Amino acid sequence: MSSRLSVLSFLSATAVLLSAGLSPGLAPQSHAAADDSLAIVVNRTNPVENLSFSELRKIFLGEQTHWSNRRRITVVMLEPGNSERQAVLAQIYQMGEKDFINYFLHGMFTGEIHAAPKALPSSAEVLKFVLNVPGAIGYVKNPDVNESVKVVRVESRLPSEKEYLLRLHGKLPK
Amino acid sequence: MCIAKSKGRVEVKCSMTGKPRTTLRGRTLAGLAVFLFMAVNSTPPLRAQQTDAPSDSNKQPEALLQRIVQLEARLKDVEAALAKAQPGGAVAASAPAPAPAPPSAAAPASTATSAPQGEVPAPQAEQTGQEPMDLNRTLLRIRGYSDVNLHGTTLRGDPASTTAFSLGQVNLFVTSDVSDKFKFLSEVVFEAGNDNVFGVDIERMLLTYSFSDYLNVSVGRYHTAIGYYNTAYHHSTWFQTATGRPFLFAFEDQGGILPIHNVGASITGKVPSGSLGLHYVAEIGNGRAYRTSEPVQNTVDDNTHKALNFAIFARPEAIRGLQVGFSAYRDLLTPAAPLAIDETILAAHAVYTGLDFEWLNEALLIRNAPRGMPRVFNTPGFYSQISRRFRSYRPYFRYQYVNAPANEPIFSPNVGLQHGPSFGLRYDMSEFVAVKVQYDYTMLRGDRAFHTVALQTGFTF
Repeated sequence: MSSRLSVLSFLSATAVLLSAGLSPGLAPQSHAAADDSLAIVVNRTNPVENLSFSELRKIFLGEQTHWSNRRRITVVMLEPGNSERQAVLAQIYQMGEKDFINYFLHGMFTGEIHAAPKALPSSAEVLKFVLNVPGAIGYVKNPDVNESVKVVRVESRLPSEKEYLLRLHGKLPK
Repeated sequence: MCIAKSKGRVEVKCSMTGKPRTTLRGRTLAGLAVFLFMAVNSTPPLRAQQTDAPSDSNKQPEALLQRIVQLEARLKDVEAALAKAQPGGAVAASAPAPAPAPPSAAAPASTATSAPQGEVPAPQAEQTGQEPMDLNRTLLRIRGYSDVNLHGTTLRGDPASTTAFSLGQVNLFVTSDVSDKFKFLSEVVFEAGNDNVFGVDIERMLLTYSFSDYLNVSVGRYHTAIGYYNTAYHHSTWFQTATGRPFLFAFEDQGGILPIHNVGASITGKVPSGSLGLHYVAEIGNGRAYRTSEPVQNTVDDNTHKALNFAIFARPEAIRGLQVGFSAYRDLLTPAAPLAIDETILAAHAVYTGLDFEWLNEALLIRNAPRGMPRVFNTPGFYSQISRRFRSYRPYFRYQYVNAPANEPIFSPNVGLQHGPSFGLRYDMSEFVAVKVQYDYTMLRGDRAFHTVALQTGFTF
């Protein structure tokens, strides 16, 4: 009987964790302190699996506007004041908040950039957006990722790997 | 949350603090786990499938185990349904809360309004041959640009040469996502002339269909892709480092010599070229008129001949901010019958626009060849502008030159030789307001040089 109970407890706990993982608002937090990597997430229907850092930069800068399946790319950012946003500005955009504004204002004014990145208040909102917009790409802290989205490799590495580039306190990629 | 389930042995009550407590006899851990699992998944369809637990306590673990298996199977069904729903972008079962709408913000992130809450994003259109019109996604976005100036000059004889405050252009930049592939862009400019009367101009109006990064087709009124400055800076002084455009790129109604605006069609895009970053622009339009007071041929063309322009430029990945390019423009001018002039404009540029350092260099040659005459009139021009940002300050220097022959059939006698340096300082008071002060020294052929000082406040709103 006790062994059955142990199995039952294990299965139940697994089910709870699995269930929580599928709920955007209930992402597990236990590894958040240790894992400071930023996952690049896309819609699950997006065929992209890997992006070079150069490609990633072009996408976020609005220089590449379509995926290989011809869908228009929609970049989603967290709102200003967010640590993940600061990391992305520093590492991907390589510019500050003011220059980011000026860059997109000017790009849209010339017509070269279709639209500035969408700004959302939380990682949960980013995940929901990416889930619902097939051409969307965004970023969240790796512990916040759930199965509603697809994590894209950057330079062939996943966020859990040691040499992964994008981190909250990462260095500027060369 | 308080959920009571009295059937079976699992019973949850609400305490005064609202926290649930269980009265499960023994097996507390397993029961709690099962409860949490069921609570998290307490969607109506799942609850509809609940079955009564056996009353016999000895059979409860087996029943619960069976229940977990059932729920896992149900979960797989939901995941499968989610996967099927994804290609169409339908809202999946695992997205319990509504999400924001997908159309991009009109302004950059920090200035854009957050996505409206409680609005489910419409899925992007499928890649079909015909674009469906989605009324919910058509958004009109407006951003404004303007400036106020104080300027004085030693040049005499021109009505605009007295020291005066002047209102710059009030530019309403309007864009709209017509659909996933179509976009609309326009600049509606309110501007006072030397008669102090305000008028309204549609300076740009473009409808663009974007096939891919390699092919975008536009129709409407555009800034001709001659050189760099004309397409990098339109009707907003706020974007520009200096108070005004180089006189090579002055607007037609301000004495400019180039066909700055054009009405017609264009195709633009990238050229597959790897790290070289090649882009192309090909344009066909009405060209510039010289018969009427309005130089831009918005509705009627002087002649049936169309102006053609082709530009190619590179933005190499190795030096981000560098752009090097070339353009060739060809038109037939018919300023007065029977005079017809073949006009060719060749332009080249090499510019670097980093975050702090800026260096713009452009040179062009306008060749006007009257038909039936052996002579070709060449008007060369260039400018070089360099600036460096120090926090909110950006000092700059520009030298510019244009030299039209004395008997040039189009530009004489208004253009002639003009050249000289400009010094200035731009101070960004905030993210959206810049104050500039500039001094120009301009030398003319056969006339005295003159000085100009301008103070400008440029802003976006």
